[in-house]
Amino acid sequence: MKVLVIGSGPIVIGQAAEFDYAGTQACKSLKEEGHEVVLINSNPATIMTDPGVADRLYIEPLNVDFCERVIARERPDALLPTLGGQTGLNLATQLSDEGILEKYNVRLLGTPLTAIRKAEDREQFRSLMREIKEPVPESWIIQTEDELQAILDIVPYPCIIRPAYTLGGTGGGIADNKETLWETGRKGLKLSMRSQIMVERSLLGWKEVEYEVIRDNKGNTITVCNMENLDPMGVHTGDSIVVAPSQTLSDLEYHILRTASLKIINALGIEGGCNVQLAVNPESFDYYIIEVNPRVSRSSALASKATGYPIARVAAKIAVGLTLDQIENQVTGTTKACFEPALDYCVVKLPRFPFDKFASGDRTLFTQMKATGEVMAIDRSFEAALVKALRGLEVKTKDLSHPKFPPMDDEELALAVKIPTDERLWAVAEALRRGWTIQRVNGLSRIDPWFLHKIMKILNGEVETSPTAYKMVDTCAGEFESATPYYYATNEIESDFVSS
Amino acid sequence: MAKDTVLVLGSGPIRIGQGIEFDYSCVHCVWTLREMGYRAIILNNNPETVSTDFDTGDALYFEPVTLPDALRIIEHEGVSGVVCQFGGQTAINLAEGLTKAGVKVLGVSAESIARAEDREQFEALLESMSIARPVGSAVRSLEEAVQVAEKVGYPVLVRPSFVLGGRAMEIVYSESHLRSFYSEAESANPGQPVLVDQYLLGKEAEVDVISDGVDTLVPGIMEHIERAGVHSGDSMATYPPFSISQDLQAEMVRSACEIAKALEVKGLMNIQFVIKDYKVYVLEVNPRASRTVPYLSKVTGIPMVELASKCMMGMTLAELGYTSGLWTLDPSETEAPKGHVVPVDEVATANLEPVLHAVKAPVFSFQKLAKVEALLGPEMKSTGEILGIDFTFEEALYKAFVASGINFKGDGGVLITVRKEDKDAAVTIARSVVAGGREVIATEGTAAAIQAAGLPCRVVKKIQEGSPSILDAILGGEVSLAINSPSLDEQAGSHAARVRRACIEIGVPCITSIDTALAIARALDVFENPQRSHCLRLEEYFRGCVVTS
Repeated sequence: MKVLVIGSGPIVIGQAAEFDYAGTQACKSLKEEGHEVVLINSNPATIMTDPGVADRLYIEPLNVDFCERVIARERPDALLPTLGGQTGLNLATQLSDEGILEKYNVRLLGTPLTAIRKAEDREQFRSLMREIKEPVPESWIIQTEDELQAILDIVPYPCIIRPAYTLGGTGGGIADNKETLWETGRKGLKLSMRSQIMVERSLLGWKEVEYEVIRDNKGNTITVCNMENLDPMGVHTGDSIVVAPSQTLSDLEYHILRTASLKIINALGIEGGCNVQLAVNPESFDYYIIEVNPRVSRSSALASKATGYPIARVAAKIAVGLTLDQIENQVTGTTKACFEPALDYCVVKLPRFPFDKFASGDRTLFTQMKATGEVMAIDRSFEAALVKALRGLEVKTKDLSHPKFPPMDDEELALAVKIPTDERLWAVAEALRRGWTIQRVNGLSRIDPWFLHKIMKILNGEVETSPTAYKMVDTCAGEFESATPYYYATNEIESDFVSS
Repeated sequence: MAKDTVLVLGSGPIRIGQGIEFDYSCVHCVWTLREMGYRAIILNNNPETVSTDFDTGDALYFEPVTLPDALRIIEHEGVSGVVCQFGGQTAINLAEGLTKAGVKVLGVSAESIARAEDREQFEALLESMSIARPVGSAVRSLEEAVQVAEKVGYPVLVRPSFVLGGRAMEIVYSESHLRSFYSEAESANPGQPVLVDQYLLGKEAEVDVISDGVDTLVPGIMEHIERAGVHSGDSMATYPPFSISQDLQAEMVRSACEIAKALEVKGLMNIQFVIKDYKVYVLEVNPRASRTVPYLSKVTGIPMVELASKCMMGMTLAELGYTSGLWTLDPSETEAPKGHVVPVDEVATANLEPVLHAVKAPVFSFQKLAKVEALLGPEMKSTGEILGIDFTFEEALYKAFVASGINFKGDGGVLITVRKEDKDAAVTIARSVVAGGREVIATEGTAAAIQAAGLPCRVVKKIQEGSPSILDAILGGEVSLAINSPSLDEQAGSHAARVRRACIEIGVPCITSIDTALAIARALDVFENPQRSHCLRLEEYFRGCVVTS
């Protein structure tokens, strides 16, 4: 079969090197199965656009015109749309909508477009979630003051107001009561170029958790791993400090959310990888489904590296019809891709922001991603991994101290702890150093007390941070022999070696 | 027999100035070393990359790229040599510490790095070879900086030393400007001197070369579309040059070969040039892989990292089938890139007729970053890049623009507001726009120049002149493309900055360099007739013309 793969194009914030990683794996994976790969990507700085990665390589602009020209020339049998980020997926959707795929008789591999639409279209997604009884946060689209008036008594407070189409997202806000909603909402309607606002239940301060799930076309599903954001809801997950696996969920919560994620991937009919984002109430078992990414994403790259499980490679194989039990786990060389990875370590991801370059930029973190990159650290404990991640971030500081915060008075520091920015972790550390209680810092930042206790431990010098041995990432926590020399350092006595 | 283990240092997190290009080079180095029979292991902590895929190297150490972490792994693995050339500034910064710890750094010695990066040593080196550079000096105080600026004359380029990506770098036009900016440059890299140099507003060019310490291969010369003053990472770079005479190309090749030999570089080196009044000046030398390596490798057909890695391990260019000089493509009958090396002394007179044209264009993420100024300058701001390749320069330009998101948004007019110095260029651009059937919209000053040339032009008010202003025209969807070159002393947060920001927010491309705008004008015919451009596999471009089959 001749398969067209669409790359993700240039690196922009929100779409970085992870798609070169995913795309390269996908091309290799398809070729292993004997398929001929046609690739179009405009980014020359990628491995996937190297001679030999794809069989037929087009370095041409990524738009409908050039894609159509490639299709007309190459006449591929099929198109794999879910490995080139949002760019690749949008292009595939456009090619389908404009009848180009039909015209040249190109079929789509993997997750069907109808499923992708169900996941990405707000209304379709909400109605599917209602059907399978999974909770989504209530929200209302408002276009007139009368409509705004009508919802004042039904909206759960606090709620978030987001005006549509304003410059830089101005005019939005949070309302605790009717009066504020009325005021902010009216202002938002005026500021919006289309006179439209969205009012939504506020989940600010809830825990944010993600599950990476995979499903094949026979309906076999597994979770590759789950991840928890240290920053509570309100910060884009690409800008959050992320831990894998989750650290503050109870076993019951873990399984409720896992079950929900698997239910969703089945209901959508995903064939490949998918990412489910959930918000969890820190005080009860309530949760909401926030978003589903029906494709390989930045989170799946992180999950792949965090577990050793190559999501893009497996997703490509599923797209051409293989099932999880037929795909080999290359890391162990003995198990299959239907084994859920087990982690005997903790992973911490820290985002890397561009504000050293853009001194004038707005450092406040919200739902628009701002980080350009990230580092990941692996160690036996959260605290050791956090210390290691900080050491490798290549910013002004290499640990939890930052010259900006000690001179601040308590009032200023409280704001720095409360408002999420790229520097909040250091503000939190300073607050704890000043002897603020965990409750107080939690009250301001809504960061889970468990994380704050661990940060406290680091500040107290209780964490042994000089590694003495090297352990393996093997997807199975040592249950099976592993053939892949993928190592991290930790403070233990004995090092692992590849079995030979 | 046990294989020697070589450690390749990765480039850490992706940031502006150090992107995916460095991961590309690291991966190729690892592949080459493995192919040569070494055991190649990787140290990197970026989960997004191919270098940290579990089967790229013979082993992967997912650890911070710092000196202590590297030293521990070196001891644990019994590493025989370390590669610092490909992981950007992150990796090269460890070379000195590794050398001091008694570790063998492959390819380029810590002394050579210092000779290229340390201001005084670098000046002495260029002087000894009679290679010109912008005059200036490294200073350690504001008063010293003021003295140097007076001696070489304003404007001057002020920047910290040993910092990648042009951070805290500024073109300074006056003493008061220097006094307000100096501390920023100083604090960007505390303890290191600040560089104050004569600022030459000229044409910029760069080369990436491969050297075995004696012979040096120049795979290609890249000419920047934007003149000096725009960071090289934010410039459009064309291969081969489109307006640099062969005499000057020959001079660049000669300088590159001499510098590589003097620095005893075994591997890759990048040199940036500026050309002013038909004279070539060397701006900077980086004894490591640069961000243009993947681009140049793909369009010249020279596997640059592979050759560089082999040189680093002791092979000579002669053994690899190359000699000193400038690689030049020949039309290929097959799809394998074909070419020959033009010896240094023959570059000025050889036939350098291009087989293909390539244009690399930067891509920005301004839409994601509120309050960030979109104006280009000596500090790098782009996050990514794309490549346009075709048989003619105009077609390659067209593709580079379109692929980087610069295309007319709808049928609206082209807004032109430029500074005094750019009025002639504005007229040239307006002429192409009118010929292409689009309306020209301009503010008063620019409009006067355009109308004086006998071209139609709609005049709009400046923001401060009240409504309906230039801002209303943009927000009202009347503008399909904006060209705005700010005056040299424009303040941040000015009206012009609001115009640029408005363009970004509603998705109208905004060009801030007059040179970029002239390039669009040059490619306008292809914008009107996109079918003129080709859509071919990369290898097919090496034929030099379309083969109908």
